Amino acid sequence: MGLATSLGLRALTLLGVLIAVLLMVVIALGATGLSDKMLGAIVNDQIRGLRQGLSQTIRDPDELERVLEAQKQQLAEFYGLDKPWYLRLPDTVRRVILLDLGSARSLRSFSGSSQVSDLVLERLPNTIMLVTTATIISTVIGLYAGVKLATKVGSKFDRALSYLSAASNALPTWWMGILLVIAFSFQLRIFPFSGMFGPSPAEALLPRTLDLLWHSILPIATLVAVSVGGWTYVVRTMVLNTAQEDFVTVARAKGLPERVVMSRHIVRVAALPILTNIILGLAGSLGGAILTETVFNWPGMGRLYYDAVIALDETVIIALTFMFTLIYVSARFILEGLYIALDPRVRY
Amino acid sequence: MTAVRSREATREFLATGSGKVGTVFFLALVAVSTYVLATYPLDFGVVLWNNPAVWADNPKLAPPAWVNSLSSIKKAEHNIMELRKPEATSTIPGQISLTYTFRFNFEADEPPSFTSFTVFNVTYHRTPVTLTATLTRPDGKKIEIYSFTVPAPRTGENLPVSRYFETPRRIFLSGEDRVVTAASDFLRREYSVSLPGSEILSKGVDRVLFGTPSKGGSFDILKGNYVFTVRTDTGDASDSIGSVKLVVGGRVYGLMGTDSLGRDLAVGLLFGFPVALFIGLSTSILATVLGTLLGIQSGYRGGKTDLTIQRGSDVLANMPLLPILIFLTFIVGQKLWIVMLVLVAFSWPGLAITVRSMVLQMRSGQLVEAAIAIGASPSRIMFRHILPQVAPFVFAQLIFFTPAAILTEAALSFLGLGDPSLPTWGQILELGFRNGAVYVGHWWWVLPPGFLVVFTALTFALLALGLEPLVNPRLRRMK
Repeated sequence: MGLATSLGLRALTLLGVLIAVLLMVVIALGATGLSDKMLGAIVNDQIRGLRQGLSQTIRDPDELERVLEAQKQQLAEFYGLDKPWYLRLPDTVRRVILLDLGSARSLRSFSGSSQVSDLVLERLPNTIMLVTTATIISTVIGLYAGVKLATKVGSKFDRALSYLSAASNALPTWWMGILLVIAFSFQLRIFPFSGMFGPSPAEALLPRTLDLLWHSILPIATLVAVSVGGWTYVVRTMVLNTAQEDFVTVARAKGLPERVVMSRHIVRVAALPILTNIILGLAGSLGGAILTETVFNWPGMGRLYYDAVIALDETVIIALTFMFTLIYVSARFILEGLYIALDPRVRY
Repeated sequence: MTAVRSREATREFLATGSGKVGTVFFLALVAVSTYVLATYPLDFGVVLWNNPAVWADNPKLAPPAWVNSLSSIKKAEHNIMELRKPEATSTIPGQISLTYTFRFNFEADEPPSFTSFTVFNVTYHRTPVTLTATLTRPDGKKIEIYSFTVPAPRTGENLPVSRYFETPRRIFLSGEDRVVTAASDFLRREYSVSLPGSEILSKGVDRVLFGTPSKGGSFDILKGNYVFTVRTDTGDASDSIGSVKLVVGGRVYGLMGTDSLGRDLAVGLLFGFPVALFIGLSTSILATVLGTLLGIQSGYRGGKTDLTIQRGSDVLANMPLLPILIFLTFIVGQKLWIVMLVLVAFSWPGLAITVRSMVLQMRSGQLVEAAIAIGASPSRIMFRHILPQVAPFVFAQLIFFTPAAILTEAALSFLGLGDPSLPTWGQILELGFRNGAVYVGHWWWVLPPGFLVVFTALTFALLALGLEPLVNPRLRRMK
């Protein structure tokens, strides 16, 4: 199998995921009658606008009502409101993909727009920044500590870490965040407990970046704390498993220094399963971001999710579900492409 | 042979530190859950937890009672007293007075958070009953706090009349205008201090009732024995009163304190034990059974079955779980079974993929070959020969997956999407978080529920850690 075919197969699977999620969203919307409600709201919005415009030109109230009624019929036909929801499926799918879902009920973007797409796209970079930074930090720590530990199997330190990683597996993200807030924001008063910037954000680049760093330390620490233990443990186990292979024994028998055996023979081979685990951990960190942003009031898509649930804003929730799936699928595709590029066995 | 092996395995499992600790924790969880199931009604969430009437007499946002032992300021403990029989009866012509007397000791450094009294089921035969409440303080001074007459018969209503039968009459003394007036009069009469009613209300009526004015306009708490009497003047010997209840509201409450609705958090947290175990175990058992069966089928049958199952599990395993759960619970409804169903649907693929790869190895093994040779059917081979071999691994996965289900439910509850009919730790914590408990220091509202979630998840994580060397002999050899 060539590189292109492998990548193509992965792309097909991930496309299948995207379609499955879309179908689920659209069917849930249609079957619960929400889709009718949302389109009805869009039509009413437009009619209201029209009424204001027309009332200037048409003086007779009866005439006005008649024209508006006709307009409403036309709009309902245009949006497919006269058909049952399952006949509207393709149109609804298109709307979800383009985030063309009308306006949010009460949530507003920072610039004041109520368009769902503005709202979501504005928050997207904040979430991506948080997740990427945290993932990179915990990967680096996990790799370093895991390899170190594998050379000291059975030691007190190793056993302690096994327990710690089990513990961090049981540690919910939101709980970790709350503990950090209580400890560092309210007891020690070192770090701010919410938001991305201080009350009056600076305009200049340097102080603004510093302010952002200052505010992002606790959320990033939360995301790293809940994932780093597990990753260290995974790296350690993978390295240990590889260390028992015959070719490692051969390398040692040849008299290669331990450092070379570790870096060239063990870690290089163990890198692939480790990458697999990073891919699998992605879903976790995305979910973790939703919760972390909620705790720290980080203005990303996760916090928006929470706000939308509180405000019962269906359109925003639909858009976010789609966006999270899209991000997840794209990130996986990149990582798996990397995997295929790294591992010759997948190709041949 | 199997018995010996399983006994050996148990011993080896308990020999690991994590196995031992995990087992002890697990037994504790089971014990508490059994106790709760035996003593709580199953519809606890609807009839008790989410029913404000049940908690009306509790103080709101009170920390646990044991904080008193950590602090130099002693805060009042909650005190509920109920009397069914009057202590004394006195008769003057045309009027019979029943006196209900509550005696209590008050030794706290701060006044009670509130005082209230409640009358249940009053029946009168001739004239409406009048109730008068009086407080006698340790210094001997008396305050007539409140008095009221049960409403007269309405038109069309015949004597005898029963009142406060279904909904008792609760008088929240700390917020009553008449109590404020009584307190103001009392200050002027006894201490020649004149304070306007609004100022008394802002200082708290209980500060006046349970204190003596000192210099600088503040009040010193008067400690000692108080007597609270409710005199009921009735016009007929057969008139009756069901019971009278006095509540001296605490500033601390019970083992775990209360939330903003006055709910006893200890009660809610206890109920969370069986719910968490139920969510965790039933979801993981279902997911494991499904994953194992599909994995074996996929691996042994191969061909189209294999392809379908593998593609299906591939797609499911690639979906981001939390966003989809948020979407579904929001759109379809906040029902626990939906959450569990989705969790099962999304959790089996990982296991199915692993089991399949194990089965693929076994299929070409001698054991299966021999079974085929003596004419065993495919289903017999799968269940009698292959299943026992993957069973230990599957069991470890079951334990390993349990905390994931508990944590996911808690996360969803934390986002405000928990099932309201079934209180869980996550929901208690969410309400606390949404009410700003983290920011204003109501630690007893957010720390214990989170701790319990972690404790439960940790228990299963420890069990899984203890099982690992048994299931993965490769790791054992290394040590």
